[in-house]
Amino acid sequence: MALDFGYGISKPRSIDLDRNEFYKGNAVLGKMPELQTCIGCGSCTATCTAGALTDFNFRRLHTRIRRGEFKGIYDEINKCMLCGKCRLTCPRGINTRGVVQLIKRNMGELQSE
Amino acid sequence: MTFYAPFTLPFIIGALAMFLILGIKWGIWTSRLTKPQKRLLLRNLPTRRFLAALWESVREALLHRRIWRVNPLLGYMHTSLAFGWFLLIAVGWIETLVVIGPRFVPLQGHVFFKYFATELPHDPFFEQTMDLLLLFVLSGVALAWMKRMRARMMGMRRTTRHVAGDRFALTALWCVFPLRLAAESLVCALHGGGGFLTGSLGRLLAAHLSPETLAPLNEAAWWCYSTALGVFFVALPFSRYMHIFTEIPLIFLRRCGIRSSEKKGFFDHFQIEACSRCGICIDPCQLQRTLGADDVQSVYFLRDRRYRTLRRRVTDHCLMCGRCAERCPVGIDLNTLRLNARTSLRNIPTDRRYDYLLGIDRSAGAGRVGYFAGCMTLQTPRTLRAMERIFRAAGEEVWWADRDGGVCCGRPLKLSGEVDAARKMMAYNTELFRRHGIATLVTSCPICLKVFREDYRLEGIEVLHHSEYLLRLLQAGRLALQRGERLFTYHDPCELGRGSGIYDEPRAVIEAIGTLTEPAETREEALCCGSSVADLEITDGEQLAIARDVAASLERTGAETIVTACPLCKKAIGRGTERPVADLAEVVAEALTQTA
Repeated sequence: MALDFGYGISKPRSIDLDRNEFYKGNAVLGKMPELQTCIGCGSCTATCTAGALTDFNFRRLHTRIRRGEFKGIYDEINKCMLCGKCRLTCPRGINTRGVVQLIKRNMGELQSE
Repeated sequence: MTFYAPFTLPFIIGALAMFLILGIKWGIWTSRLTKPQKRLLLRNLPTRRFLAALWESVREALLHRRIWRVNPLLGYMHTSLAFGWFLLIAVGWIETLVVIGPRFVPLQGHVFFKYFATELPHDPFFEQTMDLLLLFVLSGVALAWMKRMRARMMGMRRTTRHVAGDRFALTALWCVFPLRLAAESLVCALHGGGGFLTGSLGRLLAAHLSPETLAPLNEAAWWCYSTALGVFFVALPFSRYMHIFTEIPLIFLRRCGIRSSEKKGFFDHFQIEACSRCGICIDPCQLQRTLGADDVQSVYFLRDRRYRTLRRRVTDHCLMCGRCAERCPVGIDLNTLRLNARTSLRNIPTDRRYDYLLGIDRSAGAGRVGYFAGCMTLQTPRTLRAMERIFRAAGEEVWWADRDGGVCCGRPLKLSGEVDAARKMMAYNTELFRRHGIATLVTSCPICLKVFREDYRLEGIEVLHHSEYLLRLLQAGRLALQRGERLFTYHDPCELGRGSGIYDEPRAVIEAIGTLTEPAETREEALCCGSSVADLEITDGEQLAIARDVAASLERTGAETIVTACPLCKKAIGRGTERPVADLAEVVAEALTQTA
């Protein structure tokens, strides 16, 4: 019998390599290799203008893309205002605005296919 | 007299082809201007603006006054070619009229008058004048040759790398005048006459060659001269020399108030084809001088856009700092053209974008004066803290638009080309400002300032940069500052200086606190910090290289503190120097006396 404690344990998160499309993810990375130097510190998300107003999370977004998980990415990336704070703060000096535009370009193309 | 000879055919065909193509081009561009642009044209053309445009055409299309300001020798070269050639045509026309009286003379009759006028009496005044003018033009051609070899001589570190078509047209043009000299001298050798140049050369030739040798040489020279002209005329509408005939309509349209917009339009063609590819825009470009990028400058951008070979890298790799536009002798609106090329690349339907903005309001406080920090100021909060102290010291009631997080002004998105999406943010912020009933809007970010002034519809709300606002407070005696011995230097942010024309206010504020010393390149010539949000391609290392360059030039002034008035410039320059870099608001806040 299951007791309701008002909270639950989330489903174990596993990376399903069968479902992930690494080919597409690599296509993005190939055009912006500097994204590979990301240490995942999350500064981009912490300073994000759009992230302060919504659940938009740039780190999660580009991490998912590198993993080859594309569902809903295009609509999500369009929440970005391109203000450039993430670029100013990135400790690896990644052209984050360029990453956003690259994702938009690629996801737009991929979705229209 | 018939004024016809077979050798004139290449010239006649070339000239006809050229005017036909020009007519078609102008016809298409003009007929497809937008309705408001056509209304502007019809309303403003028959006014005093017409005379102003006429005078500007003489000044710029013939005399090239703006190039004289870049370098006198370069100016002379352009003047001698343009104005000299124009005078050759105009004086030649008058000469025909004076010598044979008022009767119809076909075009080739004017151009090849010397060939046809051998039987007519010589007018020594015109012969000497025409020779002088020919010498004037030839001196320009000689300088143009030398410029190809040693551009530095004319104050240009680099000149344009031309495409094959341009080289072809250039060669034809360079041949025209020496061939004219040869042809006219040979006529003088056979028939006498001529001024100090053609006449003397003619006598020299006559002394050494027999008339039997001279006659076929003469025919050949006139054929070559006519062919060079014909080839040049046919090449003209397809090459850089299209600028000769495009700059003039551009001047008239511009004087009528017609401008390019954030979306492509047919007026753009007048601007694009008015570019002579002189290459004056190359040297000021920091992507060139610091990073060595040599294919993205405005001259190459316009060329690629004109020939439809534009690549995304060229469109996107530009700081839009405006240094090239400041120098452009044709006054082409380079930033807008770059922007609307991005728009056509990237603008997408925006139905649902930024719907999440609905109902968000994180503003605080109440007052007739609103303060919009902007994203970059929120990222560099010392400026914000300083503004808080200043407002308090001045006793100003302030409405804080975005102190606890706000919505971007929209300019970064606009600069990337997503102009329709940017409108959504603009609409949101406009509504926010209106709802809180402010009368003055102060921002410490020049990027926001520019978009507020140019794209927002904020009638009734005065938009001020904090440098302007601070100066007003000082002038009204609302701030008491302690003037010290500190030596400051000031970096003009692109969007504030060249972008919004604000140069004097920040300087006046600094001079109320300490002594100001200027870097070598300042005001309209100021360098860009390199971190501009407009460049979508630049890497971090490249930004840093430019920042170091700029910082070094500011350090050379010997100032102990570098002041700027843009949060982005502040952060960018700070990466390149050990000296303190402060926003204007910070130095003002530090200088506040306790009694105030």
